[in-house]
Amino acid sequence: MNKTSAFLTDATICIGCKACEVACKEWNEVPEDGLLWTGFSYDNTQALGASTWRHVMFLEQPATAGPQQVDMENPFRWIFLSDVCKHCVHSGCLEGCPTGAIVRTDVGSVLVQKDICNGCGYCVVSCPFGVVDKRHDDGRAFKCTFCYDRQSAGMMPACAKTCPTQSIKFGEREDLRAEGIARVQELKARGYADAQLYNPEETSVGGTHAMFVILGKPDAYNLPPAPEVPTVYLKSAWTSALLAAMVVIAVVCAAFLF
Amino acid sequence: MPGLGTTYGRGGATTAPSDVVNSDVVLIMGSNMAENHPVGFQWVMEAKEKHGTHIIHVDPRFSRTSAVANTWVSLRAGSDILFLGGLINYVLQNNLDFREYVLHYTNASVIIPEGFKDAEELDGLFSGWDPATKQYDNTTWLYQGVKQDESSSDRHDNSQSGGHSQHGVDSSVDLSTYEQDLTLQHPRCVWQLMKRHFARYTPDMVARYCGVTKDAFLNVAKIYTSASGPDKTGAICYALGWTQHSSGVQMIRCAAMLQLLLGNMGRPGGGILALRGHASIQGSTDIPTLFDSLPGYISMPKFGYSSVDLASFIKANKPKTGFWNNIDKYIVSMLKAFYGEHATAENDYGFNWLPRLTGDHSHQAYFLDMMDGKMDGLFVMGQNPAVAAPNSGLERRALGKLKWLVVREMVETETATFWRDSPEVTSGELKMADIQTEVFLLPAAGHVEKDGTFTNTQRLLQWREKAIDPPGDARSENWFIYHIWERVVEKAKADPRPRNQGLLALQMNYTITGPRREPEAPEILQEINGYTTADRKLLKTFGELTADGSTTCGCWIYTGVYPEAGRNRANERDPKDEYGHGWGWAWPADRRVLYNRASAKPDGTPWSERKKLVWWDEAEKKWTGKDVPDFTATKPPTYVPPPGAEGDAALAGDKPYILHADGMGWLWVPVGLNDGPLPTHYEPLESPIANPMYAGQQANPVGLRRTRPGNEYATSPDTRFPYVLTTYRLTEHHTAGGMSRTLSHLAELQPEIFCEISMELADELKIEHGEWVTLVTARGAIEAHALSTSRMKPLTIDGKRVHQIGVPFHWGYNGLVKGDIGNDLIAISEEPNVRIMETKGLLCNLLVGRRSTNVERLKEYHSIAEGKTA
Amino acid sequence: MATTENPDSTRLPKATEERLEAIRAEAAATGKVESGAGRPPRMDRPPRDERSGGGVGSSEGKFPAGESYYNLGVVKPPTWTWEIAVYFFVGGISGISSVIGFIGHVLHADPTLVRVALWMGLIGAMICPGLLIADLGRPSRFLNMLRVFKWRSAMSMGSWILSAFGGAAFTAVAANEAVRYGIHLPLLPQIAWIGEFGGAITGLLLASYTGVLIGATAIPVWHQHRHLLPAHFLTSGLGGSAAILELLGFLLPVTQFLGFAASAVETLLGISLELKPSQVNKPLHHGRSGWTMRIAGALEGPIALLIRVFLHGSAHGRYATAICFLIGSCSSRFAWIWAGRASAHDPHALFEEENERIRARAAGARAL
Repeated sequence: MNKTSAFLTDATICIGCKACEVACKEWNEVPEDGLLWTGFSYDNTQALGASTWRHVMFLEQPATAGPQQVDMENPFRWIFLSDVCKHCVHSGCLEGCPTGAIVRTDVGSVLVQKDICNGCGYCVVSCPFGVVDKRHDDGRAFKCTFCYDRQSAGMMPACAKTCPTQSIKFGEREDLRAEGIARVQELKARGYADAQLYNPEETSVGGTHAMFVILGKPDAYNLPPAPEVPTVYLKSAWTSALLAAMVVIAVVCAAFLF
Repeated sequence: MPGLGTTYGRGGATTAPSDVVNSDVVLIMGSNMAENHPVGFQWVMEAKEKHGTHIIHVDPRFSRTSAVANTWVSLRAGSDILFLGGLINYVLQNNLDFREYVLHYTNASVIIPEGFKDAEELDGLFSGWDPATKQYDNTTWLYQGVKQDESSSDRHDNSQSGGHSQHGVDSSVDLSTYEQDLTLQHPRCVWQLMKRHFARYTPDMVARYCGVTKDAFLNVAKIYTSASGPDKTGAICYALGWTQHSSGVQMIRCAAMLQLLLGNMGRPGGGILALRGHASIQGSTDIPTLFDSLPGYISMPKFGYSSVDLASFIKANKPKTGFWNNIDKYIVSMLKAFYGEHATAENDYGFNWLPRLTGDHSHQAYFLDMMDGKMDGLFVMGQNPAVAAPNSGLERRALGKLKWLVVREMVETETATFWRDSPEVTSGELKMADIQTEVFLLPAAGHVEKDGTFTNTQRLLQWREKAIDPPGDARSENWFIYHIWERVVEKAKADPRPRNQGLLALQMNYTITGPRREPEAPEILQEINGYTTADRKLLKTFGELTADGSTTCGCWIYTGVYPEAGRNRANERDPKDEYGHGWGWAWPADRRVLYNRASAKPDGTPWSERKKLVWWDEAEKKWTGKDVPDFTATKPPTYVPPPGAEGDAALAGDKPYILHADGMGWLWVPVGLNDGPLPTHYEPLESPIANPMYAGQQANPVGLRRTRPGNEYATSPDTRFPYVLTTYRLTEHHTAGGMSRTLSHLAELQPEIFCEISMELADELKIEHGEWVTLVTARGAIEAHALSTSRMKPLTIDGKRVHQIGVPFHWGYNGLVKGDIGNDLIAISEEPNVRIMETKGLLCNLLVGRRSTNVERLKEYHSIAEGKTA
Repeated sequence: MATTENPDSTRLPKATEERLEAIRAEAAATGKVESGAGRPPRMDRPPRDERSGGGVGSSEGKFPAGESYYNLGVVKPPTWTWEIAVYFFVGGISGISSVIGFIGHVLHADPTLVRVALWMGLIGAMICPGLLIADLGRPSRFLNMLRVFKWRSAMSMGSWILSAFGGAAFTAVAANEAVRYGIHLPLLPQIAWIGEFGGAITGLLLASYTGVLIGATAIPVWHQHRHLLPAHFLTSGLGGSAAILELLGFLLPVTQFLGFAASAVETLLGISLELKPSQVNKPLHHGRSGWTMRIAGALEGPIALLIRVFLHGSAHGRYATAICFLIGSCSSRFAWIWAGRASAHDPHALFEEENERIRARAAGARAL
């Protein structure tokens, strides 16, 4: 197939309907992920995980910027955003996987092959976005597949297909990246002074295949502002290990000679 | 429905949701469109993002719609007529109306006789009020100069109708003979009456009693009224936030009037989107499951002189002018569809086999009859009254009085299990052994397991093909009705009583196929469409219908959906233009924007290039354009009806509202509504304040409270119930949750019941976010998590602070997720025109802590209602 | 059907129908619910006033500033359970034991000591895979670990290291025992040397790679201490190996020296952890992980050191210090895993760290 698929998810068009969550679960037969009421606005899903691959966030905030007219004493806004696996250009889970279960597909996505995964859990702690997790009754790690099966059949992912307002856009990464940049300019011109495109290219992650148009800081969405692929930590860690190992050899030698 | 039906002629959304991309402004009020019509809302977002349309949302809550609107304005639940009246007054006082449109296309210029007295003059009542029957006689509301025929003696009896049919039709009155003053100066012309009527709906009044700041109101008024005139249009979207009020029809009337004044009807980007409550409710009023309506909005015959035979019925319901003049053709063709060859001219086509209304047989009324032990049995199909009906606690008790109950459902709903696990039974208040109802739960097929159509909010029929067989014993409705009919007819054949004649005469001539013996659904649609009786040649338009039995047609408004063999237009999926022609089929005649004659000037040319839709083609001598003209195609704009003309021929070429006897849009409704020719503000049945407009009338005088033990009301105001409560839906669940609580993918999105309160109220009552609280009304008590949020705003009403609380009603005692039942709080009440209950504004109290399941404590809650404890 | 079974909230009951019914019964009986029904599970959450996290619920009517999404963690906590902590512990000891065995053999130490050390390596090499396989979500697929060799994955490296170590330790012990029992096969002593040498190298890697494993992750408290962790695990393994040898009766100057060195280094490492209070380091100082870390550090460090210093003559003293060290060493592994969990649940640590990194980058860019 050889294209570079991407998502551009735009919070300013999202109406918080959660159709993406449901469509994803229906298509991919993802099990129920907890019948727990959280009180976090309308978000009872809380976070992405092994059994939640699209997660709609609800932020109730003082409106620091924006043209919306709200008949309230203190300006206020309610923002919705559908979170998803970032399918990083340099992916922590992929690098960390010891069985080779996690691979890069020919559409540029990151896929967990569930027939190989043995549930070691290393991907879980290697993801700087907190996406992939283990299903405890099943034992394996799961995350968004980018509807690879649908893409292979020439269709778009279930969430993008179902989104009624096209907040979730699907297409070629370069196109969507340009569109995201243009959209942020447009929003700023309309008075959304804190609009930005979330696509961490300046870190070791090198950008993601799931980009987001958000209002305000990424921190408010639990999007890491400067995520790193944990392999950047390897060099210093191994160096320390080897140095310490040499010290241990010396100490043991000294112990016997002493 | 009658709000739109009386104002325009048809009770239904006048346009398609996709048309809002052509709007310059969209006002969403009485609706949470983004949450409850998310797919339709895509066009609102498209309008906003791509066309710069300004979206205004007016609502007691800041919901997901408000979050994406350009402007949100708060509102006290139930004060909509004040707000809308304020907008109307703003238009009238500032001359912001679209004058040419108003003059030619509305009855603004019509003169009303002197006998009429406005509510402003009679402290909240219009002239014609009879305190004994608590009903209006609308004689004083009629146009000056119209001729009346008093021989129709049950004309004034409104107790038997639900107002769902034949809106604005009263054939004892010839509304085509009116007097008018086109300068709008005559003191008793509709225009001047309106000005006087709405004079007190000032911005100050609105701010004081609606809880909206004056600037916010004026901002809305300015923005919305700017979308008017030849170059601009605005649309209004509403849903149950208006309909489920004791003055709901009049709220809709306000909006309908506003749209006429601003000249938005029948034009691209204009119109009123009546967003219906769920997927095929439009269809279930078209081919009605309503007690007072026959297919195609023909009135159900009432017990009385007007229905003693077919001729009397037709006389009573056939106005001289307008499209309802053809009612004889519609009903005879319908009777042929019912009774086939048994319907002949000699037996009035079987008219006397139709049941007659003897009173109010609406849902509320018969459930109260049931509670009084007057009913033996009930079929419940596709409904879940145990949690979805108003005062569901009382309705559950009523179900326990039946001898038998048949529930046809896909899941085991609360209605099917009320006898063993309703809250009354689990708490011990009622004993299972005392409930003698025999309950049959029959499995029903889901929508992918059967063929058929949905008719959605824009009157669009879309065919669904069956994808798989239903599992096990589950069966479709068609199968069920057909097989019940077969069995009952067998029994009836052995029973010679004359009352069985109608049953035996029923025709069900469908091909039965398959091992399960299922009737062929396409044939049913063909019968609905209509064909010639003799050789079953399918009809193309309802104009082909006859009154002599040579045509058979189940529902005249659907004629055209199956115009020829092999062509099921409801199943077409090839949209050819921006109005979607070629995708499905909209009634009537695939007209997507109703009253679109009004998109052209009286002379037939478009109002503007930007807003052209339908116009007169002088060369071809017909109406043409982007939509199917909602008008007789060959009637020229200059057409003047000859004297004595009838039906459509009696309407001039510049009269777009063809269902009306006078062809005009009705700012003033002379006939068809039970509570007034003009909307006027009444408080909801339970309100925190006295009616600021009228000392004499607190709530809608024609509304029915049905007060009785178990269905009590708070006073207005009431120290026991200091907060305003509104109930609503969330996107994640479907209606009362019967079908969504059993699906984990939906249930997990909103697993538990919660109520939304303002931060201020949480502080006042020292409620922790998330903690359990109990909401109490005069009917019942439920528990919910307290979700304290800045989205709920305390209002200042007449100087004092009023808190509003919202609670969704999606939970019940079955399913993966369970919770208390919101509808236990609502009263059974009846709006005077459509018999609908008031769910959107009532009074409640909020107590910290969980609802007790202890029987004694429950009695305490009730005694709160009876005023025994504070 | 899966319900949210977060192993971190093992203290909270599962959200099931039975639980809901039990909550209702409790409410009906007592009028209130003590067991936290209706509230989501939290770990180490700061008290209400300190929270600056986003969303609703401020009782002063003010909005929180939105510095995180409802105080939920950004990264996911480790799913590993006790087997992994014990594996770190056993792996460290067994790896270093092989080092001790090899170097001791080279330097002509007590042959019994050498033999026992090599056996300790082998026994550890047999226990470790069992622990790892038991922790896997799909244990039957353990061999998939050897499908690929990825030097960029510390866990892949670890699988190969463990396998190699197992082979080497077995070779060393088998060959040495064969020699000892008089089996004369050609090259057997050389094979034994190769095994011992391989075991020592892979043993060092085994004892230290686990520090790299958790240091090269997205968990803030782990990757911030990625320099310290391999060193700490090695030291801990060294001291643990010496401690077991002492408990087995090897009360020799060698083991005394090793024990002393290990405790001294652990003391210094422990002190260094106390010196940097920050949001990221909170799990090291607060909560279950913090207290365990401190107690473990004390047991491995100053306490073991002091016992060794003041009771170096007595056998009981040496047994005591060995036991202290072993308890501390094992607890320390658990503490680090728990610290990882707590760190994952703390979004503020992550934001503090990353925003600091952004500022530093910007300052660096300006400086250029």
